[in-house]
Amino acid sequence: MSELLEQFLIEGRELAQQATEDLLALERDPADAARLDSAFRAVHTLKGSVALFDLQPMQRALHAAEDLLDAVRAGRLGVGRGVIDALLDCIGASEAWIEALARTGTLPADAPGRGRGLEEALRAPLQEDSGAQPASAEPPSDASWAIALAAAEAPAVAAAHAAGQEVTALRYVPAADCFFLGDDPMALLRAVPEMIALRLGARQPWPDGAAMDPFACNLVIELLSTAGEAELRQAFRFVADQIATAAIAPSAPASAPASASEEASAPGGAPGLGGRSLRVDAARIDALMDLVGEMIVAKNGLAHLVAQVVAQLGEADPRLARALGESQAGIEALAEQMHRTVLGVRMTPLARSFNRLPRLVRDAAAELGKTVVLDIRGEAVEADKAIVDGLFDPLLHLLRNAVDHGIEPPEARAGAGKPAAGRITLEARREGEGILVEVADDGRGIDPARIRQAAKARGLMPEAAIDALGDEEAVQLVFRPGFSTASAVTSLSGRGVGMDAVRAAVEALGGRVSLASRPGAGSTIRLLLPQGAAVTTVLLVRLGGEVFGLPSDAVAETARIPAGRILPLRQGEAFVLRDRTVPLVRLSALLDLPGTPRGEMVRMAVVGSGAARVGVEVDGFAGRADVLLRPLPGLLSGMPGLLGTALMGDGQVLMVLDMPGLIG
Amino acid sequence: MSVRLDGPVIRLEGACRVEDAEPLLSFLQEEPGRVVDLSAAGGLHAAVVQVLLALRPPLAGPPGDPFTERWLAPLLAGPPPG
Repeated sequence: MSELLEQFLIEGRELAQQATEDLLALERDPADAARLDSAFRAVHTLKGSVALFDLQPMQRALHAAEDLLDAVRAGRLGVGRGVIDALLDCIGASEAWIEALARTGTLPADAPGRGRGLEEALRAPLQEDSGAQPASAEPPSDASWAIALAAAEAPAVAAAHAAGQEVTALRYVPAADCFFLGDDPMALLRAVPEMIALRLGARQPWPDGAAMDPFACNLVIELLSTAGEAELRQAFRFVADQIATAAIAPSAPASAPASASEEASAPGGAPGLGGRSLRVDAARIDALMDLVGEMIVAKNGLAHLVAQVVAQLGEADPRLARALGESQAGIEALAEQMHRTVLGVRMTPLARSFNRLPRLVRDAAAELGKTVVLDIRGEAVEADKAIVDGLFDPLLHLLRNAVDHGIEPPEARAGAGKPAAGRITLEARREGEGILVEVADDGRGIDPARIRQAAKARGLMPEAAIDALGDEEAVQLVFRPGFSTASAVTSLSGRGVGMDAVRAAVEALGGRVSLASRPGAGSTIRLLLPQGAAVTTVLLVRLGGEVFGLPSDAVAETARIPAGRILPLRQGEAFVLRDRTVPLVRLSALLDLPGTPRGEMVRMAVVGSGAARVGVEVDGFAGRADVLLRPLPGLLSGMPGLLGTALMGDGQVLMVLDMPGLIG
Repeated sequence: MSVRLDGPVIRLEGACRVEDAEPLLSFLQEEPGRVVDLSAAGGLHAAVVQVLLALRPPLAGPPGDPFTERWLAPLLAGPPPG
């Protein structure tokens, strides 16, 4: 992939995100001129950078979006729902195209058709308004530069006028970061038709050589051409916000130009290039993380070897043995420091995931005919990239759940004396060593009685045990696998994924989830997450020739029981642990793997607590290990019962099991 | 690679891209008085033009690129812009 394309993919995603945020803000407050300008700039810059590649459908659609925004900016069009919808569709499609480009290097086959559809939808509001002509509404602007230019180039102007040609002056002040966006103002100049004069100046006085930043564009370009104004603007159409043109009247070069128009030039307006920071594709950081992981594996291998050598060499050559040991310790310290440093680089604001949510909540609410206000706070809180990225799916699911099941339809809200618009709050804050993310809604809340009833109907636990639960504990049952209270399957959250998937995803990140609810007043779901990458302690268990990891948190204790004390129990087996009968299941059966014959002693991990305790029989234990758990990609993918994978010291991939998910 | 140091002369060769601006700038800063030869250079990126405009090194030989010769050379050779 070319560096230019790579840069475009990074910038393109950011610009699309910026445009989406601005448009959503604009929908809330149509009078917000700063947001309107920002949306226009984002779309305009995105369109400009698309022009560097052969992406016709995307460019045309974005061009239409830019025209539409321009009309809004000029006051020719109001910000209605139709306008925002068309723009959001265009940005959404652009985002999808950017991802397709990242994957395959080309736009999908249906892009031309899709692009035309978007273009039509974006042009439609403009055509409705075509009656009102804006020509007279052009703001007057300062065109003294054109007068000065015409005076300085008087001979060229006079010669052109003598030949009966009209002369147009153009001033182009490239944005300071235009080189980063892939712009080359010189390449544009080469394409200027009928140029008769060119001047290059500096926006800021040139600094001394040593202080010069070769990557910040400081040029001011002024030129004269005998091509018409329209043709000239066409040549600069991708930087239309950075140019001004003026017609030079034939009578007297030094007099005021006949007409002048200037589109607000905003040098350096594009965001995100401050300071001495460096932009790096997240995939490179991930690659670095993988390398550090491998280095730690290699370091562990070295430690083992050194221990062996020292044992053999120790008496023959104690000095060499000591030197070897010290050198190995040094490498170990460096590897660990590097690991910490890379983890630090991976710290990312939660905004990375949070910012994508408002749009999706808006769509979900629209589909259900509800009005929902999403309030996001604490998006600047930072966490490891794996956690920030891993949070997106569970949060999206929680928010959709809140829209779908939490927030009542408008009539029901009116009946309950609540405002028509439902309110959902997504808030993050630091809490001790970790971060707390809360999703709260002011909807109908969860009725513990209904939860108990559903749990009994689904046989999640013995009925007596369910009745014994307090209200607060009962609502936590929604996190149990196989539990879903939605009576109607909707396209939003009825895809067979319930709150247990949210729980598994959050636990895979090293976090915990809990729910609090007040019937009639709303629900709050709290996710407590580690801030750094999740180092999870796992209990290693053997099964046949394989080793699996069980999160230590999930294992209450391990036990060895003589085979003779296992009792048959209906279809299964059980044993007595401290005077209580505990059911026994074989891990091989849970995983659908062939069982192995049982020896004299039965080894088991006891998971769960109280009445939910279960013994899980394994072939043996292989110690404990601290591992960096890699969540499964996507909430819906992967195998049920699998929490994630981890790379072990010997390079093997360890499967870490989701015990509540397996036992159900 | 299109920026090359040849004794006291900095030779720009082929199309000069945005990444050529930085080496050009450091060559000019290392030793003031170095001459820039544009005779083998193709199109100059604006970032490169900007370095030449800011530091005003002496230019050697007629530029090989017609656009550079027609439009840029007079500006780069002339007095600093006011």
